[in-house]
Amino acid sequence: MRKDRNRDGDEISDEALLSGMAIGDERAGLVFARRYQHRLFGLALGIVSDAALAEDIAQEAFIRIFRHAVVFDARRGSVASWTLTITRNLAIDALRVRRGVPTAPDDQMFLSLMSTERLPEDAALAADALVEVRSALADLPIDQRRAVLLAAMYGRSAAEIAHAEAIPLGTAKSRIRVGMAKLRQAVAIEEAT
Amino acid sequence: MSGYGEDRGPCESIRDELAELALGVLSGRSRSEVLRHVESCARCAAELEQLSIVADTLVQLAPEIEPPLGFELRIAERLQEAATAHRPRRRRRASVLAVAAVVMVVFGFGLGTLTPSHNRQPALANLTSADLNSHGHVLGEVMVSAGSPAWMFMTIESGAWSGKVTCEVTLAGGKIETIGVFKLSGGYGAWGVPLTSPAAQVRSARLIAPDGTVLASAQISV
Ligand SMILES: [Zn+2]
Repeated sequence: MRKDRNRDGDEISDEALLSGMAIGDERAGLVFARRYQHRLFGLALGIVSDAALAEDIAQEAFIRIFRHAVVFDARRGSVASWTLTITRNLAIDALRVRRGVPTAPDDQMFLSLMSTERLPEDAALAADALVEVRSALADLPIDQRRAVLLAAMYGRSAAEIAHAEAIPLGTAKSRIRVGMAKLRQAVAIEEAT
Repeated sequence: MSGYGEDRGPCESIRDELAELALGVLSGRSRSEVLRHVESCARCAAELEQLSIVADTLVQLAPEIEPPLGFELRIAERLQEAATAHRPRRRRRASVLAVAAVVMVVFGFGLGTLTPSHNRQPALANLTSADLNSHGHVLGEVMVSAGSPAWMFMTIESGAWSGKVTCEVTLAGGKIETIGVFKLSGGYGAWGVPLTSPAAQVRSARLIAPDGTVLASAQISV
């Protein structure tokens, strides 16, 4: 999987760490936090653009994961996506409390995700679904790419996107739908090979 | 399978919003309408699953960034607080499930080979649970999962016993089976084992000390 999987040199699976957390073992929680802190903090900072707030969000996310480890359902996706989705939702909530009406993001994460440049390490990881999606995202027309990213990373609804981009609601909805359909195709192709 | 023309109407309009649902940005009436349709339409459900994989992957595209100094120390403190606050209130069912999950991680492969037709977690289906009692006090919990093989999970969280205990079950016809010898330390122990008899046959379970004393028992009605 991801290159940071074995950053600690440990071989304990994410699932086993969640099982440990589910019975209240804080050491499992700490190993898990060490493994995921860069990703959680990176996502939270990307969404809220404020290091202190992003730290609070990442910490809160780890505590929630610790408390809710027992309800994690492996059939519904990976530990990584569950963990990051919890973080994303906390960050979006925090942002809404702080700013009220969302404005278009202008942060570093948004700009780097909007970039069509290929990452050099991607070539070496050609079979990874992450790489496939990142590459398919870069191939999307810019309007679709914006709409998909605003929804996926910043939790913007079609109506909010329509408002922020000054476009009709139907246009915002179709940018999301068409963009997602192309990304889905990229993942399907990757799975078939 | 029903005709193409007949399906086209509802699915077409639902599909317009599946991506938004997968991204978690659909709300209110649209959301419940789409969810209701997906429950009864296998094709749209499959489409939603694919789109959800994409949405999950997108969230993982965020850059990795080193958190501020002291992050790990602060999380360690908070985790300890959470663990301490969590323990006395912890529901036993949750911990039995956790034991089950650990056992599944450890034995998952073996189970898979025993029951190739089952899904990845055969032992977590159709759970029946019962309190493990000792003179009116609840010491822990027993859980039996139907499946082939059936499994028994047990957690003991209070009591004073340390050392080896034998666990035995009584089956429907009155037959007694020893399912294993386990270790308790300071009144705490947890384990899971496959059973040789079907889950529906199990009527009760007991923990027995080496001197034959019954330490705790549970009545099970599968
Ligand atoms: Zn449908």
